[in-house]
Amino acid sequence: MIDFLLSGPESLAPYLLVGAGLFTLGLLACVVRRNAVGYLIGIELMLNGGILNAVAYGRFRGLQAAADSQILALFAIGLAAAEAAIALALVYAVFRNFRDVDLDLVRTLRS
Amino acid sequence: MQPHALALVVLLAPLLVALPGAFFWKRTGNALSLVGLLVQLLATVASVLVLRDTVAGALDGAVTVPWLSFAGTNITLSLGVHLDGLAAFMLVVVQVLALGVLVVSRWYLHGDRFFGRFFASFALFVFAMNGVVLAPSLLQAFIFWELVGLGSYLLIGYWHDKPAASQDPEYQEGKPFHATGVDEDRLSPSYAQLKAFLLNRVGDFGFMSGLALCAWVVSSWTGFQGGDPLAWDTLFGAVAAGAFAVTTPLGVSGTALLTLAGILIFLGAMGKSAQFPLHVWLPDAMQGPTTASAIIHAATMVAAGVFLTARITPMLTPGALDFVLWTGAITATVAATIACVQWDYKAVLAYSTVSQLGYMMAALGAGAAVGGWEAGTAHLFTHAIFKCLLFLGAASVIHGMHGIQDLGRMGGLARKMPFTAIATGVATLAILGVPGFSAFWSKDAILAATHARAFLAREAGAGAWIAVIPHLLVTATAGITAFYMARQWFLAFLGKPRDHHLVDHAHDPDRPTIAVLLVLAGLSLQAVWTGSLNPFGAGSWIESVVTLPAKGLLAAGLPELDEHLVHHLHQETMVQTLILLVLGVGAAAWLFLWNPARGGYVADNLRRRPVTNLVWGFLANLWFLDRLWTVLGGLIVGVRGGRLVARADLGSGPSLDGTLQGAASTSALAGRIVNLFQGGRSGAYAGWTALALFGLVSLILLF
Repeated sequence: MIDFLLSGPESLAPYLLVGAGLFTLGLLACVVRRNAVGYLIGIELMLNGGILNAVAYGRFRGLQAAADSQILALFAIGLAAAEAAIALALVYAVFRNFRDVDLDLVRTLRS
Repeated sequence: MQPHALALVVLLAPLLVALPGAFFWKRTGNALSLVGLLVQLLATVASVLVLRDTVAGALDGAVTVPWLSFAGTNITLSLGVHLDGLAAFMLVVVQVLALGVLVVSRWYLHGDRFFGRFFASFALFVFAMNGVVLAPSLLQAFIFWELVGLGSYLLIGYWHDKPAASQDPEYQEGKPFHATGVDEDRLSPSYAQLKAFLLNRVGDFGFMSGLALCAWVVSSWTGFQGGDPLAWDTLFGAVAAGAFAVTTPLGVSGTALLTLAGILIFLGAMGKSAQFPLHVWLPDAMQGPTTASAIIHAATMVAAGVFLTARITPMLTPGALDFVLWTGAITATVAATIACVQWDYKAVLAYSTVSQLGYMMAALGAGAAVGGWEAGTAHLFTHAIFKCLLFLGAASVIHGMHGIQDLGRMGGLARKMPFTAIATGVATLAILGVPGFSAFWSKDAILAATHARAFLAREAGAGAWIAVIPHLLVTATAGITAFYMARQWFLAFLGKPRDHHLVDHAHDPDRPTIAVLLVLAGLSLQAVWTGSLNPFGAGSWIESVVTLPAKGLLAAGLPELDEHLVHHLHQETMVQTLILLVLGVGAAAWLFLWNPARGGYVADNLRRRPVTNLVWGFLANLWFLDRLWTVLGGLIVGVRGGRLVARADLGSGPSLDGTLQGAASTSALAGRIVNLFQGGRSGAYAGWTALALFGLVSLILLF
C-alpha cells in the first residue's frame, strides 16, 4: 500500500487516489451538509475529482489522449460554471421563499 | 354392484350435501341436516357392503383412471379407489361414527345460528376423509389430506365471530376456577382454526417434500415400468426392489435416503395426528362445537395421520420406524401428564386424544415384526369408537350444564343424567384398558409390541438400553391414563354437586342421542372386537381382515419371533398394566372421590415445594409448548406476520376481516419502506443515488 502511494509522479495511482478522495469528500458534503451552498461546493468537488481522473488517464495514454482529455476538462469546467450559475439562482429562489438556505426546509412536497 | 363402485358411492355421497349446502345452508338448515343424515345412512350401508365384499373376496388393489400424463415421459398420474382390509374397515368406522355424530349434532346444535353450515362442512370433512382412506396413491392421499385440513378448519372455526376468550364474558363466567396455562388472548374459534391450519402446514411441508422425493426417485429408477410412480404398489415395489439404493440424488442414497423420505412423509402425519411437538393445535380445536370435536378426534382428522403412517409402513426403514416410535412414546407421555391437571371437561379429553394417538404411533413404530402394525391399527379403530363416545357424552354434559365445562362445578351428575353417565363410564373403562372393554385388547397389544421391540433391541447389543425407554414411557402412560380418566369421571359424575344450581337442572339428552350413546357403548366392549367373551383370549377376527399392505413384498424382511417368547412378553405386559391401572384409578379415587378436599390440598402442597412446584409449573403451563410455538410462529412468519396472525382473530373476530386488515397493513408497511427513500431530504437522495451507483458499478466489475 505504501509502495503504491509513493510510486512517484510517473505512475497513475496517486492521481487516481487524489481524484477518488476529492469525489468522496464531495459526496460526503452532499450527504451531510444542510446548507445549500455547502451542497453546491460538494458537487463542484465531485466534478473536480472526475475531471482529475480524466486528465490523469489521458496523461498516460500518449500525446493525443492527453490533449483530448485536457480539452474535455476545459469543457467540463465551463459547463460546471454554467451549472453553478443556475444552481445559485435556484438557491437564491429558495432563500427568497424560506428566508434560509437550509435544504431540510425544502420539503414542502412531502406533507 | 362392484365393491369399487360401491366405495366410490361412499366417497362421493357426502358431496350431495356439501356442495348445495355450501351455498344454501342459511335457507335450508333443517332440511339440509335431514338430507345429510339420510345420505350418511346410505353411505354407511354401502360401506358395510364394501367391507363384506372385501372380507369375502379378499379384494386387494385399485381401480383407477388416468388423470395427468407428461409428454416425453412414461409417467401417468391416476386417480381412483383402492380397497384392501385396512381401507374397507376404516371406511366403515368413519361412516358409522359420522352417522352417530350427525344424529347427536341435530340435537346438540338445534337452534344454532349457523345450524345448516355445520352439516355442509361436516359432509365435506367426511368426503375428504373417505378420500384419504380410499386413495390409491400417495398423491391422491395428499390431495384429500389437504381437504381434511380444510374441513377441520371450517369446523373448528364454526363460531368464527366469537371474540377471544379474554374478551368473552361467557367464557370468563364459565371458565374453570383452577384453569392454568390458557392464553386467553389467543383463544377463540378463529384463532384455533388458524393455529390448526398453520401447524399442519409445518407438517405438510415435510409431506410434500417426501412425496416429491419419492416421485423423483421412483420415476427415475431403471426398473420403472411407466404409470403412476406414487401408486402404492409401484412405490412399495420400487422400495422392495431397491430403487432407493441405486439412485443417488443430493448425495444421499440407499437406506439414508429412504429413511429421509419416510420421516418427511411422517412429518405430515405428525401435524395431522397432533404428535409432539406439533400437537398444540388439538387442544385449541376444542373451540369448535363438541360434536365436531367428536368426529375430529375419532374418525377423521387425527385418524388420517395414523392411517397414512399405517399405509406407508412398507416403505419405512428401521431408522424411520425408530423416529415414529420415539415420537409416539414422547407424545403419549407428555400429553398424559398435561391431562392430569386440566379442569376443563373437554381439555382432559383433548389431551387424552393426543396421548392415545401417541400410543398408536408408538405401536406402528415398533414395527410389523413384533405385531406393532396390527396393534396400532386396532387401537385406531377401538379408540375412534370410544373417543367419539366420550365426546358425545361431553356434548350431553355440556348441554346439561348450560355450556359450563368446568369439572370444578360438576359432581353428582350421574343421578341427573344416568344414561350419559353409564355410556361415558363404559368409554372410560374402555380407555383405561379394563378387561372386557375394547382398549384392553388393543392397548395391551401395543404395550406387548413395544415390549417385544425393546426386548429385540436389548438382544441386539450394546447401548441398547436407550431402546427400552419408549416402552417404559408408554407403560408409565398407561398408569397416568388410568389416573386422569378416572379423575374426570369421578369429578363429573360422582360425589356431591359442587354447583347445585347448575347440576340440579342437568338432564339426559333426547332419545336418538341416548340411542347413539348406547350403541357406541356397546361397540366399546371387547367381545365385539375379538369375537370372544373371554377377555384374555388371544387373537381377533380383525387381524385376518386388516393386514399389512404389500406384506408379500416385505415378507423376507420380517424376522419371526419365537411364539413362546411372544406369549411370555404379552403376559408380563398384561400384569404390569393391570397393576398400573389399579394404582392409577386408586390414586384418582383417593384424591378426588373419598375426600374431595384432598385433591386441592395435594395440589397446594405440590406448589409449596420448589422442586415439585417446578414440575407443577411445567404441567400447568402445558410444558410451555404453546408459548414456544407462539414465539416460534412469530420468528418464522416474522414479527410483522405474527402480529398479522394474531390480529386475524383478536380484533373484530372473523378471520376474513383479519386477512383484509393484514393485507392493508402489509401495503402500509410496503409504503413505509419505499418512503424511506423519498424523505424529501436532498442529502439523502444524493446518498442513495451514490449507494446505488456504487452497487451497480461493483456488480459490473465483479461479474
